[in-house]
Amino acid sequence: MKRINQRWPIAAWLIFLAFCVFLVSRIQIGADINAFLPSSPTPAQRLLTEQLRDGIVSRLILAGIDGGTPETLAKASKNLAHRLHNEPAFSMANNGEESSLDKDQAYIFDNRYLLSSAVTLGHFTPEVLHGSLERALQLLGSPAGVMIKNIIPRDPSGELLHLLEGFTGQSRPPMQEGVWMSRDGKRALLVLQTAAAGYNIDAQQQAIQLILKCFAESTQGPEFSGLHIQLTGPGVFSVESRNHVENVAFNFSIITAILVSILLLLVYRSWRVLAISLLPVISGALAGIAAVSMGYGVVFGVTLGFGITLIGEAVDYAIYFFTHLSPEKPPSKALENIWPTLRLGVLTTICGFSPMFLADFPGLAQLGLFSAVGLIVAVLVTRWVLPSLVPANFSPNTPVRLTALIMKLIKQAPRLRPLVLIAVIAAVLSIALHRDPVWSDSLSSLFPISEAKQQLDQTLRNDLGAPDVRYLIAISGNDREEVLERSEAVGSQLDILTYKQILVGYDSPVRYLPSQKTQQARQAALPDEEQLRAYLKQALAGLPFRSDLFEPFLKEVAAARSQPLLTPDSLHGTNLGLQTESLLAHYDKGWKAMLPLRGVTDASSIRKALARSDGSIVLLDLKQESDSLYQSYVREAITLSAFGALAITLLLFISLRSVRRVAAVLLPLAAAVIIATAIVLASGQKLLIFHLVGLLLAVAVGSNYSLFFDRESNAEMQESDSKRTMVSLLVANIATIFGFGMLSFSGVPVLTAIGETVAIGAFLSLLFSAVLMGRKISQ
Amino acid sequence: MTVISRLVFWLLMLCVSLSITPASATEPEQDEAPWSLTELMHGLAQVKNSKATFVERKHLSMLTTPLSFSGTLEYTAPDRLVKHTLLPKSEKLTLNQDKLVVQSGDASGSRTLSLQEYPAIWAFVESIRSTLAGDIETLNRFYNVSLEGHQKQWLLKLRPVDSKIKNLVNEILIKGSFDQINTIEIREAGGDYSVMSISRDDS
Repeated sequence: MKRINQRWPIAAWLIFLAFCVFLVSRIQIGADINAFLPSSPTPAQRLLTEQLRDGIVSRLILAGIDGGTPETLAKASKNLAHRLHNEPAFSMANNGEESSLDKDQAYIFDNRYLLSSAVTLGHFTPEVLHGSLERALQLLGSPAGVMIKNIIPRDPSGELLHLLEGFTGQSRPPMQEGVWMSRDGKRALLVLQTAAAGYNIDAQQQAIQLILKCFAESTQGPEFSGLHIQLTGPGVFSVESRNHVENVAFNFSIITAILVSILLLLVYRSWRVLAISLLPVISGALAGIAAVSMGYGVVFGVTLGFGITLIGEAVDYAIYFFTHLSPEKPPSKALENIWPTLRLGVLTTICGFSPMFLADFPGLAQLGLFSAVGLIVAVLVTRWVLPSLVPANFSPNTPVRLTALIMKLIKQAPRLRPLVLIAVIAAVLSIALHRDPVWSDSLSSLFPISEAKQQLDQTLRNDLGAPDVRYLIAISGNDREEVLERSEAVGSQLDILTYKQILVGYDSPVRYLPSQKTQQARQAALPDEEQLRAYLKQALAGLPFRSDLFEPFLKEVAAARSQPLLTPDSLHGTNLGLQTESLLAHYDKGWKAMLPLRGVTDASSIRKALARSDGSIVLLDLKQESDSLYQSYVREAITLSAFGALAITLLLFISLRSVRRVAAVLLPLAAAVIIATAIVLASGQKLLIFHLVGLLLAVAVGSNYSLFFDRESNAEMQESDSKRTMVSLLVANIATIFGFGMLSFSGVPVLTAIGETVAIGAFLSLLFSAVLMGRKISQ
Repeated sequence: MTVISRLVFWLLMLCVSLSITPASATEPEQDEAPWSLTELMHGLAQVKNSKATFVERKHLSMLTTPLSFSGTLEYTAPDRLVKHTLLPKSEKLTLNQDKLVVQSGDASGSRTLSLQEYPAIWAFVESIRSTLAGDIETLNRFYNVSLEGHQKQWLLKLRPVDSKIKNLVNEILIKGSFDQINTIEIREAGGDYSVMSISRDDS
């Protein structure tokens, strides 16, 4: 009977593990960028996040080649671009070469009479045409004359120049040696677009490898020696952060596991025990990932990286178990004494993390679910599976001297009380008087991307001469035509504001794809061939142009009158098509257009000019949007942590039923949290949401310590039992500090934040528990 | 740099603008410069400052009469050149390093072009500026350079190296004596040509 009782949990555990392994083997790793986008966005945020998740933008890769003379860089850039043109994995490979713009120029020139806003009734009357011809004459005399003289017979009314003037204020990448190059000539630049969607990280990774391969193949030979290629972009970030987090998770799990194993070997001197004590950790991590995968469909790299932090906490349970083994009682009874305390510790942890499930910030929600499930499974495995697996009469032999020393230190610890009090006061003061903002203020601080990578991105973008855009007009409507017509209306208002110098310029999808109505109106404004011929004859009076020069003009206007209207298909294969597609998007509820503004000097008068009651036209301040998004995450994290703290306090009241004991348990934790926060700030960092998660985890780990101290100081205990508990706490603490301390060297900002706060917080929790409650131990 | 403005940057990356004809510059030709060319260039390089008036006539096949312009030229070594057209309409071109500023007389403001982006215009302005500066290296980048005549009456022939510029211009003929330029004749592809006569203000 007893045997069967012991076997059931193992069988259940094995089935559960198999199920978890099955789920984990099928997990989909999500692009980390999504971990930071709100799950219930405002309409404004939705527009942006949808683009970021699977829009055209998410498919862009920016490449920089450096390490050579401008001539070599240009050659390498051309070689690479030509190779990538033939790769179906890329829908665009643009390095600024004229050939890559041929189609765009052809589109604009061939469709100039449908695209030009100057084409209105009266545009071709003799007086207006005469003025256009005089301007053409002036241009012919300028240095640009040689370039435009071939188009004057086709375009005497100057539609091409009018269209190009619309680009005023638009930044262009600097050119050198016929390709895009940074101003100092040290880096050639390419803009690539993958055919696969940005959220498809595997495809993005293949695309990146293909770029590197093509680059290596196209730059063989001594003239190219020393050239490097660097890549940046949303897809690159996703791939790199996934790989980086995976690497960190893997390497640091191994390092931590080795360190913890050495520690456990020193204490238990048994390989078998060592192997067994890692089972709760592994089971917990598997269950955590499986739960997130089931709950959210995708697992973010950050969550996976966080998995290793569980080692520090979950291995504690096994340590408590093994330290309490003794020859006098069977393994299954070992935990009986401490089980109520351990159970309370786990419940405390779960109380702390549960509110995180509710977070609108998906990264935070996943971490909460992962921790709670992982820890529950780890403790259950420790309680019901481990006892069946240990050798029958195993008992760890703790060195007598060491134990004696620990007990002596613990009894002396309360002498430090004044010091701790001073430290807490100093910490509170230093937080209160902290001059810089306490919280990191930008959303990008949450990115699991190293500082160096973020800087590279900034540098390449600066090289391309693309300024950050702050203002954007979002226009929505029921169908494409409605959105285009509204964009045209907004455009004419913006033209007036541009003339008043309230902004420098703007981009709009209607620049390359006017609404059908507008195109029809322009066609209707074109005079028929006979009429135009008559107008032209009058317009030419007094000008030195040859009389038969403008036959091509007459023919092309006649053709434009009956040409089919432009549709998105007409733009197929051009860079302009990509641009239009990125500014005009179809969503489940309708269509949206985005008009980025340049050089805005007075946002409020733009807002006033555009004010519409139905909310179909919105001026977005992106900086404000993203700041407020981040602020809402911070507020949410603080609120949820407060709820967690409240839940922990309530739980302790219900279990301990004594204000004094609750205070004794919570005080060391509070002191540890305050001082850990002060240390992080004093080291010159700003707090991230993940520091808060780290503090929460420190409270979870630390509550085990203080609860054990509370137990020892409030119950009649055998001295040997007390000693065991104290040794197990010390070993557990060292294991935790190893696990989290290592993580603070990971180089991933998010993981570093968690690692350092937990390592400091957990150590201080143990120390302060001893300081506050040490005197009462085994008196 | 926030996530969202990063996103918008990527949006705008698509909005990379057009340029009319960015052509590629090519490798310099390693012609053996004759000794006399070296001497001419050396002489021209000694002039640090010069002012002149010009008269330019442009013969275009699309026009029934040639266009004529006149104004002043001002050069300051090594890389500043101002061409101020006074007639028939005022227009000022200021070339400074790799920037060309165009100011029209009719208050429509000024416009700045980066020469890197307009290789054809760049090739034109260098034919004058580099000649004035005696900068044979830059001339060689854009043209096959040959010299005829003698010190008192020399003829510098510039033939474009780049095939795209070749499509626009056959050759540029610069005539002068000692360290002065007297005429610049641009022979465009297709028979159009312009002649600029320059007379130095020695006052």
